[in-house]
Amino acid sequence: MRRVLTTCPYCGVGCGFYLLVGDGETLVGVEPSSEHVVAQGRLCVKGHNAFQFVNHPDRLTEPMVRRNGELKPASWDEALDLVAGRLREIQARRGRNSVAFFSSAKTTNEENYLMMKLARAVFQTNNVDHCARLCHSSTVVGLASTFGSGAMANSISCIDQAGCILVIGSNTTEQHPLIGTRIIQAVDRGARLIVADNRTIRLARMANLHIRCRNGANVAFLNGLMHVIIAEGLENKEFIRERTENYEELKKTVADYPPDKAAGICGVAPEEIITAARMFASADRAMIIYSMGITQHTHGVDNVKSCANLAMLTGNVGRPGAGVNPLRGQNNVQGACDMGALPNVYSGYQKVTDAPVRRKFEEAWGVSDLPADVGVASTTAFDLAAQGELAAAYVMGENPMISHADQTHVRTAMEKLEFLVVQDIFPTATSELADVVLPAASYAEKDGTFTSTERRIQRVRKAIEPVGHSRADWEILCEIATRAGYNGMRYNSPGEVMEEITRVTPIYGGVSFARIDNVGLQWPCPGQDHPGTPVLHVGTFSRGRGLFSPAQYQPPAELPDTEYPFVLSTGRCYFHFHTGTMTRRSRLLDREEPGPYVEIHPEDGKQLGIRNRQWVYVRTRRGEVKTMARLTEAVQRGVLFMPFHFEEAPANRLTINALDPVAKIPEYKICAAQVRVVP
Amino acid sequence: MKAFTDQGLQEFFETLARDYDVLVPIRLHDGTRALGRPGDGVLALGGGLLPRKLTSVFFPQFEAIMAINQSPLRVQSPALKPLFVVGWTAADLDGLEFTDEFFNAHYRDTVYFNKRAGAVIVGLSGWCGENGAFQRIAGGKCDLELIRVGQWHIVRPYSDKGRGLASLLSGGEDVEGSVLEALLEESNRLPQDDQRTLEAASRLLLEGKVPASFWQKIADRCIACTACNLACPTCTCFDVFDLATTDDGLRRWRLWDSCQLDGFAREASGYNPMGEQRVRAYRRIHHKLAADAIRWGHITCYLCGRCDRVCPAGIGITAVCRQMVQEYGKP
Repeated sequence: MRRVLTTCPYCGVGCGFYLLVGDGETLVGVEPSSEHVVAQGRLCVKGHNAFQFVNHPDRLTEPMVRRNGELKPASWDEALDLVAGRLREIQARRGRNSVAFFSSAKTTNEENYLMMKLARAVFQTNNVDHCARLCHSSTVVGLASTFGSGAMANSISCIDQAGCILVIGSNTTEQHPLIGTRIIQAVDRGARLIVADNRTIRLARMANLHIRCRNGANVAFLNGLMHVIIAEGLENKEFIRERTENYEELKKTVADYPPDKAAGICGVAPEEIITAARMFASADRAMIIYSMGITQHTHGVDNVKSCANLAMLTGNVGRPGAGVNPLRGQNNVQGACDMGALPNVYSGYQKVTDAPVRRKFEEAWGVSDLPADVGVASTTAFDLAAQGELAAAYVMGENPMISHADQTHVRTAMEKLEFLVVQDIFPTATSELADVVLPAASYAEKDGTFTSTERRIQRVRKAIEPVGHSRADWEILCEIATRAGYNGMRYNSPGEVMEEITRVTPIYGGVSFARIDNVGLQWPCPGQDHPGTPVLHVGTFSRGRGLFSPAQYQPPAELPDTEYPFVLSTGRCYFHFHTGTMTRRSRLLDREEPGPYVEIHPEDGKQLGIRNRQWVYVRTRRGEVKTMARLTEAVQRGVLFMPFHFEEAPANRLTINALDPVAKIPEYKICAAQVRVVP
Repeated sequence: MKAFTDQGLQEFFETLARDYDVLVPIRLHDGTRALGRPGDGVLALGGGLLPRKLTSVFFPQFEAIMAINQSPLRVQSPALKPLFVVGWTAADLDGLEFTDEFFNAHYRDTVYFNKRAGAVIVGLSGWCGENGAFQRIAGGKCDLELIRVGQWHIVRPYSDKGRGLASLLSGGEDVEGSVLEALLEESNRLPQDDQRTLEAASRLLLEGKVPASFWQKIADRCIACTACNLACPTCTCFDVFDLATTDDGLRRWRLWDSCQLDGFAREASGYNPMGEQRVRAYRRIHHKLAADAIRWGHITCYLCGRCDRVCPAGIGITAVCRQMVQEYGKP
């Protein structure tokens, strides 16, 4: 048996573990790394089971091409030539922006870099995006404008030093389990815990305060906290004076949110807001941890900015045990953003609209005329496809049919495409619609790096050869580039790609496979001698002074009414990951949550005659799904919660494609719904 | 009585590789210690408890136990070479004694004994613990014990097989009997607090003195990572399932299971006698300290310490028992 050190492919915590390789080159287990800086010999249930799906018989093992309406096996040569040829031909006919590329937060940094290079250098379009659009695009925008850097400000280990932790819109023990338990241990040591969440999540059971704000009321809640802090003189005057700007505007805005008013909007008692404000502001070191409950709203950017405002107001930025800490959902969603798999920036958040930056990349890539127009977001891309304005899409390691809002709309859009390429490890609802399916190697079959939520760049190592005839994503992308006539994407290994990344990406400038062999580095790491940066914004913000960016409360896009009286909120459960392609092929995880369900408050169930484990229809203006009722007081009355993992009852058939105007993130957390018993 | 350096033992292990599948503590890529073949990593006899339970060499996390192809059914065959496994602490050896008993009771588990039969068990004790701490001397329950003192390991055989193998060791230093006696005294002086706590907790459970509210508090913290079960040398539960293979065959697998999962005891009807996390938290501890005490006549936690180390929420068995005894153990 061999053991290969690698990084977990699930959430963004970035735990290190060893994959156990048995006879016959199949994976036979996971052994935690007792030395890993974050994992410390521990893992969550998904991590302990992160080996089983790899050798699952459902793996895509050979390329497939649609012939006479059916996907049929094809050779790699045929499939690759077809992809390169068709994309070129469509662009020639319908313009360079008629093609869009969907990169993947599940693939490595090197692969994300190559995907954006393929889009930009080879196919001359900035239409490249990935699923960060659906989870933390509000963070990238909101924190970049307030702080200058859209990433987790502090390190995971900072939790150990915090005096007060505000967890808002994050079911941490389920979605970032080893951060969640770190919070539990911090509470044991005396840290105060405030949980602001509509649901009674596990952390709420041990919180000093659990504030069950109405869904979508975060801006009012945070403004209410800041109102109390200023009214009681608890703000950090020195920090505000020395480190920030635009404070007067903030003061003016939050003056309008006295506790009574804020509490009214939030559906809580004014005392809760007052107590929380005092608890947070009086702590020596206070930390904000947030996730999708903040970001997945039509006002997600406002929510993020309000978190940033609160941290600046209390001087909780730029020091250990504090900070604004968005928890990134996928193993490499931080890295996919860092690598510029976004329509407006190259790697390292260098803007495509900036001429000197373009010139730098033109020189590095040996091309001319890189496009200066910002590309389309993945959410908008489906609108364009539905309108017939987008002709082709290349989807790597994503399953938008299950993960994007309003599935019927997504299906219409995909079916309208002239040409759809899907590159994945398993067949998915999206690959069913593809014209070409390219079988990719899993995380266990390739080398590279992932960047965790705390900006830690860590090694991913090849444990076994690619299953069947699958190939690593980076190799496939390079083949496409070469066949499209570009000679600048030939590499012998992902390490060579990383060398190129470090040359053009200042925040990764000092990274090399050799330096991160044992312990990953946290960016910014601009030089070979730079030790990496555990805490951002020390002494000065990335943008100079922190910018207070006050926001007004805005109601969600679709609120309940008499016809659709419930608020439907979507999310994930502990045992599954995203569209379930991997976890539903892992025995114990699948056994634990074998099918779709909707959480309903028992009183609502009683009123509607719905019993526990009874089949129900959940319906919104977009569609209907049949799922199983789970009666639980974890949800408030009038609220339904559904995880989106299950293809047989896709929650995203119900969600609304209402977007934040800047970040273009859909409002997954709120839409109006009805529920009834299946007759 | 002879003692050997790491170097001497390394050479000994290498020569044994002809006849045995030798597994010794080694240091992996990032310094994590694990069982591996000599040469797969630097020998790491010191450092204390190996993170993974050593019984995993006989009962691994995930293994095919049967295959059905076009040819008739094939069951797992015995290993070609017997195992030679170094690194068992005294607690590990107690655990091994129990798993042997468990897998042999009522129905002999051939998959386990295919690997277990003929295996040589080598204990590790003395001044070899974490940061040089003293590790209890087993004084038996293994074929050989390596007792560390300074840079030396006293080789102490207990079985005929152990004596035979020890005789193959050449060189080494002679050690006076008094050195071993001093080590044994040191071992006897080790504090017994945790053992007493465990026994007190066992009595509380057998007498039904721990209320449901206590288990709810434990359950509130438990994230069901399952690590306590995966790490525990005496956790023997597994799940069995079939998966098609790429060559049109079918393979039957077994996989470590966990009583901390809802699906563990869920019946096909959906009814689940352990459907609440509180009940599962209770079950984990009650099983080792009360149910097993009745069934086997002894507690089946040997205080190896693994669950306390791997639990991210701080509710390993000793932590829970300490809290239990503190809250309900007062007369």
